[in-house]
Amino acid sequence: MSAMFSQNPLMNGPNYSFNQAPATASGGNTEHSFYPYTDNGGSTLAISGNDFTIIAGDTRSTSGYSINSRYSPKVFKIGGTTSSQDDANLVLSVVGFAADGEALKERLDAIVKMYRYQHGKPMSVKACAQRLSTILYGKRFFPYYVTAILGGLDEEGKGAVYSYDPVGSYEREQCRAAGAAASLIMPFLDNQVNFKNQYIPGSGEGHALQERENIPLPKDEVEDLVKDAFDSAVERHIEVGDGLQMLIITKAGIEEKYLPLKKD
Amino acid sequence: MDTLVAQYSQPMFEKENHGEDDQMELYQPAPSLSLKFAMPPVAQPSAWLRAATDDHANPNCPIKIAHGTTTLAFRFQGGIIVATDSRATAGNWIASQTVKKVIEINSCLLGTMAGGAADCQYWLAYLGMQCRLHELRHKRRISVAAASKILANLVYSYKGMGLSMGTMCAGVTPSEGPALYYIDSDGTRLAGNLFCVGSGQTFAYGVLDAEYRYDLTEQEALELGSRSILAATHRDAYSGGFINLYHVKEDGWVKHGFSDTNPIFWKTKLEKGEFSNVTSEMV
Amino acid sequence: MNHLPQAWGRPRDDVYGAYDSSYLQNGGPTQHTQRPIVTGTSVVALKFKDGVVIAADNLASYGSLARFTDVKRLRKFAETSVVGFGGDVSDMQYLDRLLNSLDIQEAYGSSGHTLNAQNLHTYLSKVLYKRRSDFNPLWNQLLVAGLDGESKPFLAAADLLGTTFSSPSLATGYGAHLAQPLLRNVAPDEEAASKLSLEQALEAVKESMKVLFYRDARSMDKYSIAVITKDGIDLKENEQLEKQSWAFADQIRGYGTQVN
Repeated sequence: MSAMFSQNPLMNGPNYSFNQAPATASGGNTEHSFYPYTDNGGSTLAISGNDFTIIAGDTRSTSGYSINSRYSPKVFKIGGTTSSQDDANLVLSVVGFAADGEALKERLDAIVKMYRYQHGKPMSVKACAQRLSTILYGKRFFPYYVTAILGGLDEEGKGAVYSYDPVGSYEREQCRAAGAAASLIMPFLDNQVNFKNQYIPGSGEGHALQERENIPLPKDEVEDLVKDAFDSAVERHIEVGDGLQMLIITKAGIEEKYLPLKKD
Repeated sequence: MDTLVAQYSQPMFEKENHGEDDQMELYQPAPSLSLKFAMPPVAQPSAWLRAATDDHANPNCPIKIAHGTTTLAFRFQGGIIVATDSRATAGNWIASQTVKKVIEINSCLLGTMAGGAADCQYWLAYLGMQCRLHELRHKRRISVAAASKILANLVYSYKGMGLSMGTMCAGVTPSEGPALYYIDSDGTRLAGNLFCVGSGQTFAYGVLDAEYRYDLTEQEALELGSRSILAATHRDAYSGGFINLYHVKEDGWVKHGFSDTNPIFWKTKLEKGEFSNVTSEMV
Repeated sequence: MNHLPQAWGRPRDDVYGAYDSSYLQNGGPTQHTQRPIVTGTSVVALKFKDGVVIAADNLASYGSLARFTDVKRLRKFAETSVVGFGGDVSDMQYLDRLLNSLDIQEAYGSSGHTLNAQNLHTYLSKVLYKRRSDFNPLWNQLLVAGLDGESKPFLAAADLLGTTFSSPSLATGYGAHLAQPLLRNVAPDEEAASKLSLEQALEAVKESMKVLFYRDARSMDKYSIAVITKDGIDLKENEQLEKQSWAFADQIRGYGTQVN
């Protein structure tokens, strides 16, 4: 039925009488070139609260149906003064093509370290977020195949999460899921963090029902949400599993937690 | 001979080193929004980029860039109204419902975002930089005509490379009064009274054209901008989320909220009796 | 600009030409330098309590032809690390020369060699990533085995795209499918690997090489095996698979000429 409406059945929907489907090149001598990307699967998740930010990611690395490694972190501390990054105050998560993610992480880390050296103070999340955007956009025509999320505490000490598309458009948000299981986790977050489609029982009839007030969640509840989100994603996505790495940013510093996930 | 000597006088591993450009970026005190971009080392970079990112021609393409929008802006006696939705889609996935599609270039100039989100954000930020430089050089604010032309010339120089943006520049200056320009990534630049841009533009035009007059009051104009976006979010699947509403006046722009469409829709239906195609009964 | 809803914000045929999906495909005609010709198959490696065991057979195939039967695919670096190469043999030889030049340079340092296996892996993965970014890849899958900065066993992989990862056991190519499950049986995690004895690790790796020889049509029964510990590298380049048993071959139905 959809074929009746659509000359491009993949984009189901009404269409125009003139040909709308994009032409596809075929035949003739085409240049076939090396394909420089792969997808290493996995998922990441970030939620910010009043005085903290949690960024988490699973630790599985895949290629196709194979598991490369059960411990391959996707969440990194950025801009500390030592190689152990103990005194870092920013966290970056990258998911997609792991080699691009690694390259992006190292580039941002070097830039943030250099900023500290040149300015004599750590970089703010806001500044780092803008810088990350221009780094990604600098490869607009040969993109980093990654979805990045940057987290930290803003100038007022409030939790900050910035999410990116592969070419650098960015937005500050309360929460964001990215990667293979983003489509599984994000709707859960909409409901549990932003209270979408939650109403106050008995507050009215029909359309007069009051929406539940949106208030930032406390840290322990957010931690539980993150665990539940990943446990659920592991159940339904083959590229997610093995371990959950959580970085919890508060004004006291960054605490790292590792929890096992199902390994099947 | 020299090249031969050079080839063997340098240890082999030095050939695999990174270029100096990569290291230069670390030493710049403040990296400007530059015009230097990494290119894929192939004969046709734009065709390569399209293969990797065009989810219309190939829904399975690996990199999906955020798209889809309804934006509008119109001039009236009290200035300019700018209104947008807030949805970003990547394929059929709603990537975000909270995108800020009105970009505050400076306190008097607004730009709107349609097409590639990153393209609009980056180039309008770049435009903001150029506008500030103009102010510093000429000791007066840039005209909207000039600002829009900077952007149009800029994107025209990248024509065929795969940029995708449809933007409107709105501002009020003493010399021009309220001025509105439409610029897109083909290089088109048009001055006009009224524009709607994006996948939901037709729906917005329908409402806007029917009710538009130049002598609208401020209240009427704000209401009309909001109502046009509402119509588009209702009928265009690629639009939705929140209605972002701005009013540009001589002494700068004023924000009139970032409001959820859902309650506005039901209010419009139940209180004004519009959208009678939709049933209000809850089953 | 195309204002049709579905096509909004996307490239237009009249401006950009038709959509050419061939850019996304690996198959079809390829450029000469962008396809492996003479290839080596799997490399397998496993950490144990004092170090790492790594093995690869001595075959270089030319398509389905078993072309060269004495190609050594394990390479020592500075008597502290071993690199195992899968994939294109000419690129392996290039990397070998590259590592030689690095080796010489490093040996001039006042404190002698300071590059451990971890440093070597970082270096190689940067070379591979740089080459893939130039669209001129070195068509290899590498395993780097040795000790890290704290003299603990180190094992990590890098491939032609610059992808890197580390695990108690690793295997490239067919090994990732056939050998990795066997190795994970003996070392499911770092803790288990840190309790393995050399004998257990050797046995698991040799068993993996045997299973690979049974089923990987591009493999051979002559192989190299190296043990890296803090005492140095024990590299044997002419090992023969022992105690093969082809009894299982009888039971196979449905493949090859035998139909039922």
